[in-house]
Amino acid sequence: MSILRRATRFRELPVLLGLVVVYLGTGFLNPIFFSVSILNDIFFGVAIVATLAIAQTFVIVMRHIDLSVGSVVGLTSFLIGDLSSRGFSLLAVLFAALLVGATVGAVNGFLVGYLGLPSLVVTLATLYIVRGIFNEVGKGQTIVESMVPKELNWLGLNRLFGISYLFVIVVVLMLIAGVLMQRTRAARDLYAIGSNPSAAGLVGIPVKLRVLAAFTATGAISGLAGAVMLARFNSSSTQSGLGLELLVVAACVVGGVSIAGGTGSVFGAVTGAVLLQTILMAIGALGIPQFWQLAVNGSLIIAAIGLDRYLSTRLRSTNIMGASS
Amino acid sequence: MNQVNPPVLSVLAGRKAFGGVQALDGADLNLFPGEIHALLGENGAGKSTLLKTLAGVHKLDAGSVTLNGKSFQQGSTRSAQEQGVAVIYQEPSLFPDLTLAENVFVGRQLQSGKFVDWKKMRREAATLFSQLGVDLDVSRTARGLSIADQQIVEIIKALSINAQVIIMDEPTAALSSKEVDRLFSVARRLRDQNCAVVFVSHRLDEVFALCDRMTVMRDGRTVGTELVSDAVQSQVIKMMVGREVSELFPKTEADLGEIVLEVKNLCSEGQFQDINFTVREGEILGLAGLVGSGRSEIVRAIFGVDTYDQGSVIVNGTPLRKADSARAMAAGIGLVPEDRRLEGLFMPYSIAANTSITLLERLVRKLVIRKKDEQKVAENWAKTLQLKFSSLGDAVERLSGGNQQKVVLAKWLATQPKILIVDEPTRGIDVGTKSEVHRLLSKMAQEGLAIIMVSSELPEVLGMADRIVVMREGRQVGTLSRDEATPEKVISLATGAAALR
Repeated sequence: MSILRRATRFRELPVLLGLVVVYLGTGFLNPIFFSVSILNDIFFGVAIVATLAIAQTFVIVMRHIDLSVGSVVGLTSFLIGDLSSRGFSLLAVLFAALLVGATVGAVNGFLVGYLGLPSLVVTLATLYIVRGIFNEVGKGQTIVESMVPKELNWLGLNRLFGISYLFVIVVVLMLIAGVLMQRTRAARDLYAIGSNPSAAGLVGIPVKLRVLAAFTATGAISGLAGAVMLARFNSSSTQSGLGLELLVVAACVVGGVSIAGGTGSVFGAVTGAVLLQTILMAIGALGIPQFWQLAVNGSLIIAAIGLDRYLSTRLRSTNIMGASS
Repeated sequence: MNQVNPPVLSVLAGRKAFGGVQALDGADLNLFPGEIHALLGENGAGKSTLLKTLAGVHKLDAGSVTLNGKSFQQGSTRSAQEQGVAVIYQEPSLFPDLTLAENVFVGRQLQSGKFVDWKKMRREAATLFSQLGVDLDVSRTARGLSIADQQIVEIIKALSINAQVIIMDEPTAALSSKEVDRLFSVARRLRDQNCAVVFVSHRLDEVFALCDRMTVMRDGRTVGTELVSDAVQSQVIKMMVGREVSELFPKTEADLGEIVLEVKNLCSEGQFQDINFTVREGEILGLAGLVGSGRSEIVRAIFGVDTYDQGSVIVNGTPLRKADSARAMAAGIGLVPEDRRLEGLFMPYSIAANTSITLLERLVRKLVIRKKDEQKVAENWAKTLQLKFSSLGDAVERLSGGNQQKVVLAKWLATQPKILIVDEPTRGIDVGTKSEVHRLLSKMAQEGLAIIMVSSELPEVLGMADRIVVMREGRQVGTLSRDEATPEKVISLATGAAALR
């Protein structure tokens, strides 16, 4: 019983099991899937969504959502290429990307936290606004390989112990964010806010400030993710990052970061992203028409929410006091 | 209690207005260490505003609050806690996804260095729980915890900040009698540890059983403070309402007519078993029992919001289809649910919209709701029920609890039901409105309405019901007529007679 109970508390378990099943199952049907190059493709391909999913976790645990990240990451990937082709140093352009992301995040956070507007609507609006600015800034231009900072180019092409540097970045970011989320008071406040928004203020949590800070952090990391995107594709245009936000939210939800707030981890979000990427690759390896991928993603989201509901109602029916009286 | 000591907390001439409403208008309160102090008053008397001031939610416009001889810093919940004042609300606000340990320390998690120390937090929380003699697993999440257990967690939280003043806002409203007993022993333990405990309750018998002193408020001002041992219940009520409430439970004899509702062998796995009863025109049938004995589940099944496994519900000789509340309504049944905020009302909607929502079909002409008729319906019922409001267009969330309950009643009475089910009809309602609700139910019964009343308040059931069905753990353990029913009989049936003697 205690093992079972502990297992139900470990929210990342279902997505990990799903990942193992998909990976082994596909490899069983088509052994090529076990090759190193497929593994590399998964790690390389998932880096952007995984980075954004880590950032997205901050807001989703607060029972909020940030849809503007697709526009932000596209814009900053363009800016990084554009600015560095004008001679700015890598550090300077990365800082610019961070600043742009943080600014959009701060606007979201202010409107949601201080003005009490719903995050879904606010970030839908900033999604369009940022994309609109992007269209104006990047009018007709395309960032090509020669404009990409050579360090980013290198990161995209090389591997550490056989693993793409882009995924190494994801892992490092995940470890840092993971420790912060689990072990700092400010981050624990985010979980409390998501778990019971009205009570959070009553126990003295500075809710508005935390909402502002979390959205700003999400924006800042999403801005930096522009570098990962540029390293991955070696190009950027006004189409970059279009629609990515929904894939990011899907990765989080599949990874056990409950859209109802209060639970989930960056580890889960990354695992969710890896699962979605693995399914994409598996569909290719099994010769299934590509459009099934979207349907499978959708089904996974429903399965994740269903499981979530099931687990929480199971917990609801246990009454410890009742057992002892 | 030692009155020679200075008070730990004192409020002097507190005043606070919200818009044009003077919520506090001369509130005084003195709390001494090691006492349990009752705070009494009708809804709207200013208790909540006073509590929220001490909790740090509101700031007084005028007057002073002194804590341990120093001025109490108002206006911040965090600072109120840090100064040693903790409030346990009627509906505890725990974080369902966090563990009990983290719930105790939320917002000020224990750290070693810059990082949260989970082990230390679990250890300290476990120690506090065992000190109060409560056996709860601190690593489980708060989701699914009973209200009683949630309150215990809140009390532990108060202890963890070394609170000197612990305020409990109507803590017993949703507890079974066993849980109330446990809460009382916890409260006494807190008193023995020299805390000042404030106990807010509408149940005077509880106040007399538990408290040392009482302060009564009316219309925002303190009208008196007395030792409980010197106080007389009828006088306390008079102080609260400013008038004599002659009959609290005025059910008058009504001629019983035909059987309108028959419940036969009703069973629902894990909820209730073998339920059999009938209700006649003009009769009030009381469903008594402890919280959790299956009363609400039965009436929900009768009304068709929940389904059941076996048995039948027969209205005027015709069996009702199960799990079909629309048909139940068409057959003339109405249900005033237990939780009016969640299930009884559309809080942001107007009084008029809430009153007429059961009649929408009749108010529609050419696909459009006739607002005039909606208004007329609401006006009529507001008058009949003596609703206190400024405009029928006001959102019901702005009304007091008692007036909200009247709107729920109006909504169902407007359908001219044959059978009205009321689940805890007077929970959280002040004494004055309570007797109005009782008078109204009694009058409706006289006019031939069959009423099923679920209530946890014994005097209410005994005073109002013609017959009482007593439930225990999902079973019907007895049916008592009005003449047979005594408090002792009902309690011994509801708790199991052996347990009592």
